[in-house]
Amino acid sequence: MTNDHLLRLLQLASPALPVGAFSYSQGLEAAVEAGIVHDRETALCWIGDLLNYSLATMEAPVLLRLIDGFRAKDFTAVEHWNDLFLASRESAELRAETVQMGFSLARLLKELSGIDTEALRELYRLGDISFPCAFACAVASWNLPPAQALAAYLWSWAENQAMAALKLVPLGQTDGQRMLLALGERIGAIGERAAQLGDDDIGVFMPRLAILSSRHETQYSRLFRS
Amino acid sequence: MPATMESAAAIGENTWPARLELEFAKRGPRSVLAARRHDGPLVVQKPHYPEGDGICHAIIVHPPGGIAGGDELELTAELGAGSSALLTTPGATKWYRSAGAWARQQIIFRVYVGASLEWLPQESIVFDGAHADARLDVEIHGDGSFIGWEIICLGRSGSAERFNQGQWRSRTTIKRDGKPLWFERGQLAGGDRALEVPAVLAGKPVVGTMLAASDKLTPSLLAACREIAPSRGDGAITLLPGLLVGRYLGESSEAAKNYFTKLWHVVRPGLIGRPGIEPRIWRT
Repeated sequence: MTNDHLLRLLQLASPALPVGAFSYSQGLEAAVEAGIVHDRETALCWIGDLLNYSLATMEAPVLLRLIDGFRAKDFTAVEHWNDLFLASRESAELRAETVQMGFSLARLLKELSGIDTEALRELYRLGDISFPCAFACAVASWNLPPAQALAAYLWSWAENQAMAALKLVPLGQTDGQRMLLALGERIGAIGERAAQLGDDDIGVFMPRLAILSSRHETQYSRLFRS
Repeated sequence: MPATMESAAAIGENTWPARLELEFAKRGPRSVLAARRHDGPLVVQKPHYPEGDGICHAIIVHPPGGIAGGDELELTAELGAGSSALLTTPGATKWYRSAGAWARQQIIFRVYVGASLEWLPQESIVFDGAHADARLDVEIHGDGSFIGWEIICLGRSGSAERFNQGQWRSRTTIKRDGKPLWFERGQLAGGDRALEVPAVLAGKPVVGTMLAASDKLTPSLLAACREIAPSRGDGAITLLPGLLVGRYLGESSEAAKNYFTKLWHVVRPGLIGRPGIEPRIWRT
């Protein structure tokens, strides 16, 4: 990977990417409300379990397939994996999150140079654009290496979760960095696992997250939109 | 399939296939079971009409009583344009312990324009050591509607059995005009950490999902469903595009069934145009 590639990935994975990720906790706020997450240890357990049981078997392998689809200009495959990812979202707010972030990134990509115009046109044709789908469009257009792109994607997800935990639990900055160090150590293995999953092994089953997230939709006091 | 062939399959290849195909059609004001084909031990009882001609009730029976390693059950039901049916089962589906052979159940529903299908089975009990693979694929066309639920009990929780060995796989998809509305796929090994962790099953043996796919879902229906809570355990409702999803997680199949039945009473009038009249078989 060249330095140019690295810098593009840092840009895509940065909290400064204007897609509104900071306004979503992906169920963490509900887990705090339910008393499941209350310190660094329980926050790390919760975030690590999402990474292991949800992202590793759904979002990560789907992202790799979306990148492949854009690279091969197989837009039927892109549509298939985008639709399947959207249909796997457990609650209205988790679905709204990925669609809003996907739309924001797609809108941004239109203004940036080097994005393949055909890929962008196909992205817009999808209707509801999931965030991994828009991310994959940028990765393929800029010809970034898929395995590293996946690691960057998972890192930015973990960072966003850690930042949400800092506000919600609450935790100090040092605790946040300790959690990120621990989560970062798992990302390589999760990427490798995702790359080996067959199409029939892709999926997600998180009933408790689904219940907590569904309840969060009517939670009285909340800082986050998911 | 004749009995002799069944035994040959059971012994020879150690598999026991059972297939049931049902076709419902609207004939004048009446929804009828227009065709049925079956191979092996999966049958439908005589259709009945407790709510009048408009909707056909049918009970699906698997006479062996449980699904063992090597069994392959396949149920297909097609709801022709404008027809309505309610399918249920007489008792819990039991997935028996297996030495390693998979037991499989594949359910395929096709619901055509103006038709409605309700799939309201009793719970599935996955015995410790079972190798269970259950798939449900629903294809809806046009303005067809579907209400269904699945209640899974991992381990015979009534006798404090835990799911310590074996495998459980489940996949559910709902598509409308080829577009996925819902996709969920679970895979758990006996004793898996996922059975215990707070984001997945949180140590609870009973997990239920209720799905209602319709173009008549409204925020006020969602609000009405949210007024209902399970008597024991956790429940919640969300409204996705064209799909209402209810969840249960707890320790009681009975509480899950009661929760979903209450939700069904709320959603049925708006979606199917009928008040909820509970199948008598549930009370026996």
